[in-house]
Amino acid sequence: MATPQSPRQNHLLAALPAEVYERLLPQLQIAPMPLGWPVYETSGQIEKVYFPTTSIVSLLHIMKDGKPAEIALVGNDGVVGTAVFMGGLSTPTRGVVQSAGHAYAIKSDVLRDEFRLGGPLQELLLRYTQALITQMTQTAVCNRHHSVEQQLTRWLLLSLDRLTSNKLLMTQRLIADMLGSRKGAIRTLEKMQKAGMIKYDRGCIIVPDRKKLEAHVCECYAVVRAEFDRLLPRNRNLFGEAPPATTQRRTQPDRREHRTGDAPELVGAAAPAAAQKRAQSDRRERRTGDARELIGARRPAR
Amino acid sequence: MPLGEVLYESGGQLQHIYFPTTSVVSLLYVMKGGESAEIAIAGNEGLVGVALIMGGQTTPSRAVVQCAGQAYRMLPGALKKEFDRGEAMQRLMLRYMQALVTQMVQTAACNRHHSVEQQFCRWLLLSIDRLPSNVLTMTEGLIANMLGVRLEGVTGVATQLQKEGLIRYEDGRITILDRAAVEARACECYAVVRKEFDRLLPDEKMN
Repeated sequence: MATPQSPRQNHLLAALPAEVYERLLPQLQIAPMPLGWPVYETSGQIEKVYFPTTSIVSLLHIMKDGKPAEIALVGNDGVVGTAVFMGGLSTPTRGVVQSAGHAYAIKSDVLRDEFRLGGPLQELLLRYTQALITQMTQTAVCNRHHSVEQQLTRWLLLSLDRLTSNKLLMTQRLIADMLGSRKGAIRTLEKMQKAGMIKYDRGCIIVPDRKKLEAHVCECYAVVRAEFDRLLPRNRNLFGEAPPATTQRRTQPDRREHRTGDAPELVGAAAPAAAQKRAQSDRRERRTGDARELIGARRPAR
Repeated sequence: MPLGEVLYESGGQLQHIYFPTTSVVSLLYVMKGGESAEIAIAGNEGLVGVALIMGGQTTPSRAVVQCAGQAYRMLPGALKKEFDRGEAMQRLMLRYMQALVTQMVQTAACNRHHSVEQQFCRWLLLSIDRLPSNVLTMTEGLIANMLGVRLEGVTGVATQLQKEGLIRYEDGRITILDRAAVEARACECYAVVRKEFDRLLPDEKMN
């Protein structure tokens, strides 16, 4: 953390047009994010919204009996506290720092006011929320179908994507908590360490060669990755300005090829034909304009 | 909206936004190997096609009609225009999406920690809440698909609940006979989602 911090290290802030960015800049305050710090509690009022730069925050769901389940992680790609602009002011989830570092904080009402102006910040935050939804849904699927090792690998890779180094400042115990199965997670971490996939050293996990992890990960990682790249492209500026120089280049190969087009391998054989038929009928309907219509009935119910 | 109709495919371009009235739509993620898992359901409390408003035009999930009925649909242009005015419509939509996020989160947690019976009851209650009656037209196969569990698991649970008089299951129709008992068998996840929807989208008009 010796390097000087800039809000532009957060990709959302970096993607803002200069005018909006400069308006927000005086309101952004650097905040240290110590390991394990609860950024916000379940159903607690969210006073500040955080844009991580070198830290990662885990969004957890805590069950009544205290069992946690990790649902998403937020790093330099995003923002912690989406409920502030989505509405409702609090969420039933909990945010905990899972890799120590820094973030830029802004008062909730300031961000909300800027969001309500519409424009680039709103568009960016909605796109981010949509990408976050994909991450959450993929976690739901992954929890259901994949092994602890696959889940852990997905989680490590998603974490690394949100950091500038290959070092996660965190403890085994915290990881275990996040995955909701302590014994299984610790056993798996030990196995991965033996296989040379990770190195665990006094409160930090180092990934010497991420290719080894990529070879073991489930499809969920690529899906989340592709969706973030699609919704929040880093190489193409969303608002027609030159991209800021501080953003970090990704060196990993683009894994998007799995998910482009109709992805027929993902769907039942009958589905593409149905989709095509639907597209045809949709084209017909589009000519009639934006009119509301009732589906599944010959005449309106009322 | 006939049972099993696919409103949109994973990764496909979304054409319409749907506002279900008497139908319920399931949002599923289908894996490469064909296994699926439900991530949320939308009925008369909400809409299908949030990606058209949020940005991105498509999602990696698939939307399937899980209870036949009706919906209103519209092309996204007019809705997006209203949304962009930043008034009541926008606030309402964002609140709905926030509630939807809660449902997805809860599903992720539920998948991790709860039994098939608890999940089945949660799913049944969330579905019935979105329907005008307490009857659900459904097959066990579809339920298994949605919950991402084996068919035998669902059949076992349905048979047991029927034996105890909590539900009636015949001819592909599930009727809840004792709602309080089904609620008692569901995990906490049902109440959490219900409460969050009530909090974010109370029945009174929003100003």
